[in-house]
Amino acid sequence: MRRTATGDRRAFDELYRRTSPWLAVRLRRRCADGDVVADVLQETYLAVWRAAGSFAGSAASGSATGWLWTIAANRLVDAFRRRARQAQVPAVPLAETVAPAAEEEVMAGRVGQELEQALLVLPPELRQVLRAMVLDGLSVRETSLLLSVPEGTVKSRARRARIQLREALS
Amino acid sequence: MTTHPSPAVITRYAEGGSGLDDATVWSVEVHLETCAGCRAHLAGSATDDTRALLDRVAAGLAGGIAAGPLPVRRQRPWSAVHRRWLVWALLPWLTMTVAVLGCAFLLEALRPGLPSLLLLLAPVAPLPGVAVAWSRRADPAWELITGTPSAGLTMLLRRTAAVLAIVIPALALAGAGSGISLALMLLPSLAFTTATIALGAVFGVRRAAAGVSLLWTLAVVLPSVVIEELPVILRPGSVPVWALAIVGLAAFAASRADGYRRLSSRN
Amino acid sequence: MMRTVSAAETAPTTHPWVVHTEGLRVRAGRHLAVDGLDLALGIGVHGLLGPNGAGKTTLMRALATVVKPAGGRLTLLGEQVDGRSDLRRVRRALGYLPQQFGFYPRFTVREFVEYMAWLKEMPKTAVPGAVQRAIDRVGLTAKANARMKTLSGGMLRRAGIAQAIVNDPEVLLLDEPTVGLDPEQRLDFREMLRDLSVDSCVLVSTHLVEDVVAACTDVVMINEGRLVYQGTPNDLTAQGGQGDAGDSPAERGYSALLRRHRAGAGR
Repeated sequence: MRRTATGDRRAFDELYRRTSPWLAVRLRRRCADGDVVADVLQETYLAVWRAAGSFAGSAASGSATGWLWTIAANRLVDAFRRRARQAQVPAVPLAETVAPAAEEEVMAGRVGQELEQALLVLPPELRQVLRAMVLDGLSVRETSLLLSVPEGTVKSRARRARIQLREALS
Repeated sequence: MTTHPSPAVITRYAEGGSGLDDATVWSVEVHLETCAGCRAHLAGSATDDTRALLDRVAAGLAGGIAAGPLPVRRQRPWSAVHRRWLVWALLPWLTMTVAVLGCAFLLEALRPGLPSLLLLLAPVAPLPGVAVAWSRRADPAWELITGTPSAGLTMLLRRTAAVLAIVIPALALAGAGSGISLALMLLPSLAFTTATIALGAVFGVRRAAAGVSLLWTLAVVLPSVVIEELPVILRPGSVPVWALAIVGLAAFAASRADGYRRLSSRN
Repeated sequence: MMRTVSAAETAPTTHPWVVHTEGLRVRAGRHLAVDGLDLALGIGVHGLLGPNGAGKTTLMRALATVVKPAGGRLTLLGEQVDGRSDLRRVRRALGYLPQQFGFYPRFTVREFVEYMAWLKEMPKTAVPGAVQRAIDRVGLTAKANARMKTLSGGMLRRAGIAQAIVNDPEVLLLDEPTVGLDPEQRLDFREMLRDLSVDSCVLVSTHLVEDVVAACTDVVMINEGRLVYQGTPNDLTAQGGQGDAGDSPAERGYSALLRRHRAGAGR
């Protein structure tokens, strides 16, 4: 990041090469519209380029992926907000159906087996809200824009999810 | 970091769609946030669709970068100081304060018979700076600043600390130069600063500073110069009194901290 | 990045209105500029109209918690802010652009917005991204690294709007934001307002009736510190007839309401 801040185009291209596939795949799983994802990616990396010095200075701790995702998520929510106004909200991919775990798909080092099994117990709309708020770090307002549901619904779903998770884990 | 997912899982994650269940996807995403190696694997197994998308974005980026401004450079911490309005607003007042202290120091050296002017002036030395630090007229963005969550006693204290950072060393130097005890030089000025802040919650900081200075000049400085004797409160024995005063006034200021959160017509 | 979601964040909303005043009285100097105002604002863009001296700026200042009300009740985001209350939580979700926008000449636009973001206690890692986003939204990308003293009036105003929106506020108060903007910039501003109307409560005080009609979901008219009218722009237009002063239907509606209010007050 420091080199990008000095206008080093190659350093920036390197950053793009290393992080954009991950960002693109993750965004695609939040928004089905490829054009929207392309716009969001372009805006995100342009913002990183233009504000490079500030990023290098303040967010020096940790990897770039944390604040890269924050910027991308914010721009994604902005895109949804713009289209909500024009009533052309892009499709959000439906929550993945639960696939039965076959022997060869057992993954080493899952983030807590119990939590995952508990997650699978939740209905898909609760899982969506949890993913948006906990994993993607969105606020209630942003989640309501992304999923096109009222803020009150987002809050009640989050509460139900917390209760059901607690029951499933105990 | 959790242990890495298998390459097959990563490939299926890259494909999108419903090849994986939600829980696995969640774990993969959490892991990818911190593992550059697996992100590289992901880049390797990206679908053609994704690659085409990324190429499109890269072309757009090139255009955007060419059209727009250059990235902003990293800020050096010291350059931030010279931009602060506080520095430029305070400079004349602080120079005046230091000059006055310098003159008092000289006078003492030349006329040892008079009561120590340095000691008499020390308490009110920081007050002009404090008044400017929280003055509506000096800070151009006062209305904006007052509406922020940070506005309040902490901000005033921060600015006061900036003033004291210049005045206290000057006082200490002058005191050391003319052989006056350090405590006697510094404690009264700290007490007066605390008093101004405390009274500022009630009357407004500028008025408090002006009032306190005036009171001190009329009640103590002038009579001392006329009588040619140091007042009781500035004799060496009074140091504990000043220390107690500081503690009491600080407690009072803390209890009225709410008053600083808003603009009032008095400030 | 995984984060914890607090219980407070998902607790059901109990307040029906984002901004709610009951019998609000606010002083400007000695004069009671806002005198018994009852106002209820929800999500959307509300245009604040009224003749000079009607108390618009004072009302904005009271809503921005910059000035303490002299009486009545003021509730922002469900919290009462008129007494001795902790303003910090409300102020973090607030954005304010005053009519007299003071700025620090030596700062660049980016530094100024970053400073305001810091004052609004935004998390440090989120600041650079949020600042760039705010600068892009107001259209100042090309001038982001220019010093504020080199900017024209319209650009300065836009920089002021940028600092108001940097923390994505739930309540946005803009006092005369379109002063100095050319017609194209005013159109861009209206687009931005329409975007904001989806999930935040915006109050725009303006002299230009056309601005209000074009971008606002709701019109609030005050005169002599009291509420004259609140309704949609279409309803405002419907109030006027051929005999009223004005070059457009909306202006005629405005004059008609003003005339009726003055007549009703026995003038």
